[in-house]
Amino acid sequence: MTGALVDDLVASLARRKASAQVMPAAEAARAAARAMADAGVARAVLADDPLMGDLGLPDALRREGIEALLWPTPLNRREMLGLEGPEDSCGVTVPRMAVAERGTVVLEASPGHGRGIDVTNRHHVALLPAGRIVATLAEALARTFADGHPVPSAVSLVSGPSRSSDIEKISTLGAHGALSEHVVIIT
Amino acid sequence: MSTRRRKASGGVAYPDARGTLRERTVQALADGTLRGNLETAAASWGESRDAMRRDHGLDAMRDRARDIRRRNIRELPALLSEMQAKVREAGGTVVRAQDGAEAARYVTGLARARGVTVVAKSKSMATEEIKLNESLTDAGIEVVETDLGEWILQLAGERPSHIIAPAVHLNRGQVATLFREEAGTDDVPDDREGLVAHARVRLREKFAQAGMGVSGVNLGVASTGTVCIVENEGNARLVTSQPRIHVAVMGMERVVADWDEAAHILQVLPMAAIGQDAANYVNLITGPRREGEADGPEEFHLVIVDGGRGALRGTEFEEALSCIRCGACLYSCPMWKSVGGQAYGSPYSGPIGAVITPLLEGPASPTSRDLPFMSSLCGACGEACPVGIPLQDLLVRARARASSPATRRSAIVFRAWSRLWRRPTTYRAWMAGWRLMLRARGKGGWVTRLPGPGAGWTQVRDMPSRWPPRP
Repeated sequence: MTGALVDDLVASLARRKASAQVMPAAEAARAAARAMADAGVARAVLADDPLMGDLGLPDALRREGIEALLWPTPLNRREMLGLEGPEDSCGVTVPRMAVAERGTVVLEASPGHGRGIDVTNRHHVALLPAGRIVATLAEALARTFADGHPVPSAVSLVSGPSRSSDIEKISTLGAHGALSEHVVIIT
Repeated sequence: MSTRRRKASGGVAYPDARGTLRERTVQALADGTLRGNLETAAASWGESRDAMRRDHGLDAMRDRARDIRRRNIRELPALLSEMQAKVREAGGTVVRAQDGAEAARYVTGLARARGVTVVAKSKSMATEEIKLNESLTDAGIEVVETDLGEWILQLAGERPSHIIAPAVHLNRGQVATLFREEAGTDDVPDDREGLVAHARVRLREKFAQAGMGVSGVNLGVASTGTVCIVENEGNARLVTSQPRIHVAVMGMERVVADWDEAAHILQVLPMAAIGQDAANYVNLITGPRREGEADGPEEFHLVIVDGGRGALRGTEFEEALSCIRCGACLYSCPMWKSVGGQAYGSPYSGPIGAVITPLLEGPASPTSRDLPFMSSLCGACGEACPVGIPLQDLLVRARARASSPATRRSAIVFRAWSRLWRRPTTYRAWMAGWRLMLRARGKGGWVTRLPGPGAGWTQVRDMPSRWPPRP
């Protein structure tokens, strides 16, 4: 069951111009850090999620020479927006869920997970435990907004990197949000 | 920066639209570049949308979408009360505005009271309808449209051409020129990627300054008090997460009951609008930031605009309220494809604009009463509509409403005519007389001028003097 969902998600992410890797937990942090180093990332902004430490991402980033800041960061608004400091930054998120059929990751705002992490930075890496993949959008929304579960202040459905077709109707990446999206699916 | 300046008013249509509808239409038809750009845009939309129909069964999703929206409109007062209560429970402020002027006044007053000097906006037809930019600008507040297409138009001092793709009528060279003027330097790249990257940095400067973000609302979900904002660029997320205050402006009809309904509409919307099975970003926002959260607005205000919508419930035009503003009827309309949205002189163009603009303005409005006639009644709009609004029927009803009642004289003429044509003998006699008249007036096989009521017809066409025409 999970295997089919993983395959579907990888295929639909590719359709949305996002990249994906399927990795066992022991190798996920190294793979994510490697992908960021290859993209020239100098600074990573990490959601404060226990998964980061469990996977050992901060250490893996340090080994690649990438500065790792945990949310909430001490950066001011101009630094957050990349107007000052390193341009090539990367937001690292931990989606609550992902939707296989349409390549969507579901990000929930919380004290540890800023709602702007994935769009303020130039790149976006999502660390997704494979068990969190569901088949349809209806299923994801039903779970996110289920009775008895407090309604999050902000939920973002992210399906691929930022894009605009406003100039000559041709899709161009990196309009306001992330120029690239990479999802590491952890099995 | 050049900024559109208009006097704020209660109407929907642009009060300063140049010339009459006919003049704007003729002018648009003469613009070859515009027509080329519109045709390219409509063709590329058509291809992607056909793929959605084929691969995702978009047509089969329509019945349910129509049922949901029709029920939402029937239950509107209850849904709005629930929405209002839930937003307040989440710590947000809700304001119900009777008309556009009241809504604009509230937002402008709020900006003033909080000492806001720069407002960052994401694309919203509702704010265009309430003329918010004019109101804020008049109060000395800088307004920046951050959707790339809307920003381009703001720099050009123009109005949106399409609900979803506002700058669809401009090409890359025109955009590069606008960016050079705005930046005050020739150091702006010419290629598409370069232009997008340039705009990203310029607009981030604005996000860094903005004290208030203003967005529209694609859908309100009553059961949790959540507003859904659908976009591709990521600017709406910045608008709703960076400034200290977020104001969402929603047309009162844009509300669904629960997440089951929302899931269906949120799937239909991008398919119909851009021919994709998902938009890149869907932002689901419930109130301001919570305690302990480090980003997101400290204040959230939802402004619900009536603007003449409520009065349409229970009328023969009620179905127009089902609209989810996807723009499919625009791209499918042969009229819109020929002249673009600006000729309509209203934020809402195309078939749905031709129906709702005069409805929201009232029947007496001189600026919009002719709009229902901007259609050949071919029915392509009704077929394209993902929520099953019978647009061609609404256009006919809107025409009846716009036409003046028959005078006593014309009623007598039409009754006599009808009596003549109803019987084969009198009909044949009529046609024989008509043929004789044509032959008598014809020169070289063609009649170029007809007398009386026929004169208007031959102004732009000739008529053969015999049928079938002989060489």
